[in-house]
Order: sequence, then C-alpha cells, then structure tokens
Amino acid sequence: MIEVFPAIQDLARRILAVEAARVRAVGTPVDEAVRACGKLQVPLSRFTGPAGFLSLLTRALVLAKAEVPALKVVQVGSDGNLAGFDELKHDQDAGELARGRVVLLAHLLGLLATLIGESLTLRLAHDAWPDVSIDKTDLKEEEES
Amino acid sequence: MSTQDKVIIRKLPTGVPGLDEILGGGLPEFSFNIIAGAPGSGKTTLAHQIMFANATPERPAIYFTVLGEPAIKMLRYQQQYTFFDHAKLNTAIRFINLSHVVLEKDLDAVMAEIVTEVEAANPALVFVDSFRTVVRKAQGVTSDVELQGFIQRLALHLASWQATTFLIGEYVEGEIQNNPVFTVADGLLWLSQQIERNSIVRKLQIVKLRGQGSVPGLHTVRISEEGLQAFPRTFGLTGKGEKPDGQRRLSTGIAKFDELLHGGIPEGDSMLMSGPSGSGKSILATQFIAEGIAKGEPGIVAIFEEMPDQYVRRATSFGFDFDTPQKNGQLEIIYLRPLDLSVDETVHEIVAKVKKIGAKRLVIDSLAGFEMALAPDFRTDFRESLYRMIGALTRMGVTIISTVEIEDAFTSMNLSNFVISFLADDIVRLRYVSINGQLRRMLLVVKMRGGPHSIDMTEYQITDKGIVIGEPLRGYRGLITGIPGPWNVESAQIQDPPVESAT
Repeated sequence: MIEVFPAIQDLARRILAVEAARVRAVGTPVDEAVRACGKLQVPLSRFTGPAGFLSLLTRALVLAKAEVPALKVVQVGSDGNLAGFDELKHDQDAGELARGRVVLLAHLLGLLATLIGESLTLRLAHDAWPDVSIDKTDLKEEEES
Repeated sequence: MSTQDKVIIRKLPTGVPGLDEILGGGLPEFSFNIIAGAPGSGKTTLAHQIMFANATPERPAIYFTVLGEPAIKMLRYQQQYTFFDHAKLNTAIRFINLSHVVLEKDLDAVMAEIVTEVEAANPALVFVDSFRTVVRKAQGVTSDVELQGFIQRLALHLASWQATTFLIGEYVEGEIQNNPVFTVADGLLWLSQQIERNSIVRKLQIVKLRGQGSVPGLHTVRISEEGLQAFPRTFGLTGKGEKPDGQRRLSTGIAKFDELLHGGIPEGDSMLMSGPSGSGKSILATQFIAEGIAKGEPGIVAIFEEMPDQYVRRATSFGFDFDTPQKNGQLEIIYLRPLDLSVDETVHEIVAKVKKIGAKRLVIDSLAGFEMALAPDFRTDFRESLYRMIGALTRMGVTIISTVEIEDAFTSMNLSNFVISFLADDIVRLRYVSINGQLRRMLLVVKMRGGPHSIDMTEYQITDKGIVIGEPLRGYRGLITGIPGPWNVESAQIQDPPVESAT
C-alpha cells in the first residue's frame, strides 16, 4: 500500500472542510470530494490535458480504494468526474465516508507532489483554494521529523 | 533610408550563456522561430531557458504542449535545472495542453484555441512543443499550401499580438528544403548531437535569422544542471581588441634566454616551445609565469597532464611560490579534463580567467595534452581551433607560451609533431645532443616573427633554480641531428661570423 504523508492528509482535510462549508452554504447536492477534485480538474487539464487528469485521478482512486475499501463503488467517468459518492452516503457511516474523501484527495495531491514536486503542487492548491492556508505547509514534514 | 528611419528591433536575452553573442545580440522581438533538432538535443531545455529568462506576470509566456513530452513530466524534469523558477509558474508562465485539440480536431480548431489563449493572456512569448506533431497530424488531411497558409496565419497573428514565438520540433537534416515551416520562420536554431567513437558532442547552428547578423557555423553546446551553455566560435571576443604591436618585450625570467630573443618575447606573441620529454619546456614556461608575477603581470597556466597541486609542488621545487599569487589573484592554474572537451570550452574558460585577473601571460602545457583531452570530433579541427584560439587570446594582449612534446630523432630536427608551427609567432626548439659521451641539452630560437634573434645553438642545463643558459655550442657540425661531429678548419672559416638572423 502506498501511503501519503500525514501533512498531505491534513491539507486534504482542510480543503474538504472548505468545500463542505460551501456545499452547506449553497445547498448543492454535489459531494465535497467531487467538488474538490473538480476544482483541480480545470488547472490540471489545462497543462496535462483531459487525458492526463483522467490518469491521475484514476490512479489516486485505485490507491485510495486499497486503503478505504468502501470507496469501491466510486468510479471515474470518461469526463473526469467522480461518480458513486451519493451511493456511499447511503451505505457507509459518516466517519468512513469522511475518511474516504480525505484519502482520495490526499492521494491525488500526493501523486502530484511525487511527480511535479511539493512546491508546484502547493501552488496549484493555493490557486484552487486561495482561502485555505497552505503557504507554509510542508507536505513531507512528518517524514523528515 | 537613413539609419534613423529604420525600425528598431529589440533583442531579447536568451538566458543561455554565449547564445546572445551567437545570435548577434539576442532574439529579435516578435520573431517567429523554430527550435529544431533530434531527440535529446536540448530543444525543450533551450525553450524553457528562453521562457524563464523573459516571462513576467505582465507579459507572460504560454507554453502549448502537443503530444510530445507530457507537461507533467516536462515540469518534473525541467525543475531540476537551476534556471527553473517555481514562482513564475501560473503567474508568468502557463502550460496549456493542446493534445486533445490536435488529435480530435483540425488546424482551424488548433488556430482558434491558440488565438483564444493568446488574446486572453497577452503573452510576450509563445511556445508550441512539439509543433512537428501538429504538422504531422495535418499532413494526412491537408495540402502543403493549406499547411503553409496555417503557419503563415499563425505567424501573422502572433506577431500582431506582439508575441515572440518558438515552434519546437524534431527534425533531421535534409528536411529544411521546401518545408513550409522553415520557409515562414524568421529564425531557425538547429541543435544536434554528433557521435564519434565513444564521445558525444552537442552543437548549435543558427541556420537562419532574419534582420540581424548571427555568427555562422557550428557552435559547441554543453548541457549541465544550469541548462544549456553555448560556446561561440568567436569566443565572446567579436570585434574586440587589436594585437599589441610587439614593441614591448616580456622577460622570460632567464636573462640569457632573453638575450637570445633580443630582449624577451614580444608582447602579444604566441611562442611554441617544442622539445622532447625532460628537455625543460615546462620549467621554462614556469619561469616565464613566475617572472610575470614578480613584475605584476598576472598569469594563467592551463595544464592537461598533471593536477594543479602537482604543478605547484614542482614550481616550488625550483624556488617559485605559486600558492601566494593564486590566493591574491595574480595566478590561475586551470586544469581541464572533462569528458569530450572542446577547444571552444577551453578558450571560454581561459578568456574568463584572463578577464578575471587581467592576465598578461598564458602558458598552455601542453598542446599534446590539450589535444588528448578533446573529444575525437574536435581533434580533427585542432589546427583550425588553435588558430582561432591563439588569435583571440593574443588580441586580448596576452602573450602565450605553448609547450609541445616531440620525439627527438637523431638524424633530423622536427619543430613539432603538429603542423601548427605557422600558428606561432616565435618558435624555440629544445633538444638533446650527444657530445663526448654525454647527453647534453641545447636550445635554438628557430623563428621570431617580430624581429631578429640569435641563431646560436646554445647549451643549457636544468638546475634546482630552473633553466640556466650556457654558452653557444661551437666547433661542432650536425648539432641539429643530435649527433654532432667536430667541425673541420675549412668549414669553420665558412661558418663565421654570422650571429643574428634576418627577420
């Protein structure tokens, strides 16, 4: 199993909290994990192409499923959108669902950090969520300490 | 039209050391350029260097990627170079993937996508990597005329939007002729790799550059962690300096040798010091450098056959302190033995040091070692390269002694194993001679372009103080064969009394 650093998980958790607040404020039925991945889809597709984003998200989902088996109902559509979270909401308890969201987003961010580096990943995240404090996040701080 | 009327074309810096000089000052602003070459020749790295050197948040760069190296991998690898500035991404530099448009749609859609992005971002620089892929896709369904029309519209649109454009593509030699891309382009930068035996040499050629004079020919390129570095064939000395008139003489530090030279080595001359192993060439050159330091004339020693600390130790054994002048900027010892060295890189290094310490004297010890350090590809051009190198350095006012080892034949006297004697203003030949059962040393000033010199064949010795010049060898015949015999009375009368050469 490929694990992501706790700092990345923490970043994913904070991003999802922001998205959850927006879901509640707007009253949208779209899951916060779907919204978060969707927000990364735009900038990532611009430079990796839609196919590049699809590959990254699919890989992140495979890694997340290995950690949180409950995610098995989640799929990546050919358009790069996530499907299956509505089903999860009915079948899983809130804690497992929340963990699944965090692990999925953390794997997506972790993949990016592995491929293009921490600095560029944080920059992408910052552009997508300017209100999330991530400037001083060290994605590998746990590993180094 | 007067020079005041013509349009001023601003030149953009490339960010590649040496390349601006090759281009004739930089890249013409708003030009439409091709960066071409085989895979692995450094095209993308060159493009990135240009991009990072010029992109700003106000006038950003757009880098379109098309079916070549995926952008995510491009970013992964390119950020290893020191020129890569993370802070510029998504502010001054934007990567946009066009692969899906090229794959799924036609040239008009590609054009529309580029136009949309360019009009939105107002970029100063636009890159399409790889443009070859766009052309390949189009060639299946589009005529050459339509393709040329597309490229021309693209060039016109990007120039109208005041963007300097670079199309990057994998091309091989022979594709230049009748290629619509090359026809439309203002500039064509061609990168190549030449393989000979086990060595690889990277070269750059400005095949075409409208509106300004570039330096013709193939220029050596090296890729390091700092990106590309180009070594112009002009050594960065275009149009600079005149060789000194040679009126001033530089002492070699050996008074009697100076006498043989009629006052020392003319300033700005290149002297070839040839002789067999152990004949004292390096010692004599060391004394020349030591004398310069003593007189406040900084010196450079380029060595190829021993390490700098060994060289310093050897100088110390003759009573010369080479440590202190290195510390106080009067002496630089350059040891160059990278793989596949080029003459241009060597001269670049020497010129940089000459400028740094204001060197007046240079020793190259030895030319044979220098040649051995070169990539095989460069050895074939060694004479031509030396000619350019010596010309460039002497124009900087540097006086050069180059040592060259030759095998002593005992029936004749070669000046050098290299056919390079014509490059030298002055030639001194050291050799062994067999006299009375002893192997003794003699030297002879063969040539001095700047004036008369002694024509004596003079004995010398190597002592713990260096070279000590003795007396002319008289009373022998056949000294230049190394196996002289006694001069008979009749011949001796004919020989006397000339003591000086004509120029």
